[in-house]
Amino acid sequence: MIRDHAEIEELLAVRSLGGLDGDDVERLERGLASHGDCEECRRLADEYDETAGRLGFALEEMPVDPGQADEILRRASHPASQELAPAAPLAPVDELRARRSRRARAWPALVAAAAVAVVLVISAVAIFGSLGSTGIQASTDQTVVSFSGDAGELAMAYQPGKPGALFVGSDFTDPGSDKVYEIWMLQGETAVSGGCVRPHDGSIVVFVDADLADADRMAVTVEPDSCPSQPTSAPILISDPLVA
Amino acid sequence: MEAIDLAEARDRELVQGIRRRDEEAFRGLFGRYAPSAKSLAMRVVRQSHLAEEIVQEAFMALWRNPAAYDDQRGSVKSWLMGMVHHRAVDLVRREESYRRRAEKTAHQVMDLESDHADEVVEQIGLPDERRRVRAALDELPGPQREVLERMYFDGMSQSQISEATGLPLGTVKSRTLLGMRRLRAALIQEEP
Repeated sequence: MIRDHAEIEELLAVRSLGGLDGDDVERLERGLASHGDCEECRRLADEYDETAGRLGFALEEMPVDPGQADEILRRASHPASQELAPAAPLAPVDELRARRSRRARAWPALVAAAAVAVVLVISAVAIFGSLGSTGIQASTDQTVVSFSGDAGELAMAYQPGKPGALFVGSDFTDPGSDKVYEIWMLQGETAVSGGCVRPHDGSIVVFVDADLADADRMAVTVEPDSCPSQPTSAPILISDPLVA
Repeated sequence: MEAIDLAEARDRELVQGIRRRDEEAFRGLFGRYAPSAKSLAMRVVRQSHLAEEIVQEAFMALWRNPAAYDDQRGSVKSWLMGMVHHRAVDLVRREESYRRRAEKTAHQVMDLESDHADEVVEQIGLPDERRRVRAALDELPGPQREVLERMYFDGMSQSQISEATGLPLGTVKSRTLLGMRRLRAALIQEEP
């Protein structure tokens, strides 16, 4: 328990510079909570944050393309192009939820769900014309690849040579209010965004309408909700190699 | 004080404009602070494309939710730089290897920039603010300044600084506090 403002002030000063870590993070939270509605705490926090923010102006400015402002406005006005909507049919979602409720988390079940789901989704997409009028048929030439890493379980189902892939995942944690999971197509050293998605109740069911022809593997990272065009963090999941 | 008040009043007016979805107001604030924001992000993450992403994310967040700025809690410029710094530090904490890979190159860039710093500072925007902050930093005792610079500009945590310097963690924290008290006094409690 922090009993006065001296220690809170020290921790707030460190926090304002981004340096707080370890047990001190929780220590400060506990200290602030113990002070309740504390005007002095707010004053100290605001003043140190203000001071820290000013430090950045010690550096020399760097040139910025003014066109970036318009690019930001453009991206902000077309959120649909940056974020993936969940796949239209509810059946895969319901199926996954049913599976989760039965606590069936084994890989074979997840892969089977993806395989079934891709048939439903691709068929639905074909019917509604999103992929053109090629009339993709539910067939046995689907390929399902699994991902490995430190996040939830994820499988991707697709038809080699055809655009689009369905991602079905479970046990994903909430990435945070200002974070999303971003799907990448890896082409050698290049990463091409496949869009961003948030899990719903830990589940991800999303259809990515993208051309996988040149992708070697797929990957998932945690990114800011602006859905950046290049990864800013290391992958948390990487797929097995894709079949051409 | 008059000049600073006018500048801050202008910034708040621009934020008000952004709340009304005025794109010109957004462009105005971007043009005014994006160059400093990019410099700060670049200093922390040491990679130009990541710095640009961070700046864009911060301004995207501003455009999407201008109500997040609370004028009772501080200046627009400090709030904006805080958003940028937070994102940059968050990035390097998650991906230290980014910086390690680029450190040598970045140092070369920073050295080149510092060669021109003194002559350029007189010619570009926000020169008064830059002079004041630099002067305040220069006034700090060396050990306090070193800890603050490592923490803020290099994105190091208190524990990382302790490990890197061999200083006890308590010393890192106390030097941070003393340095920040001095800066606070110089920058926001004794504004001209």
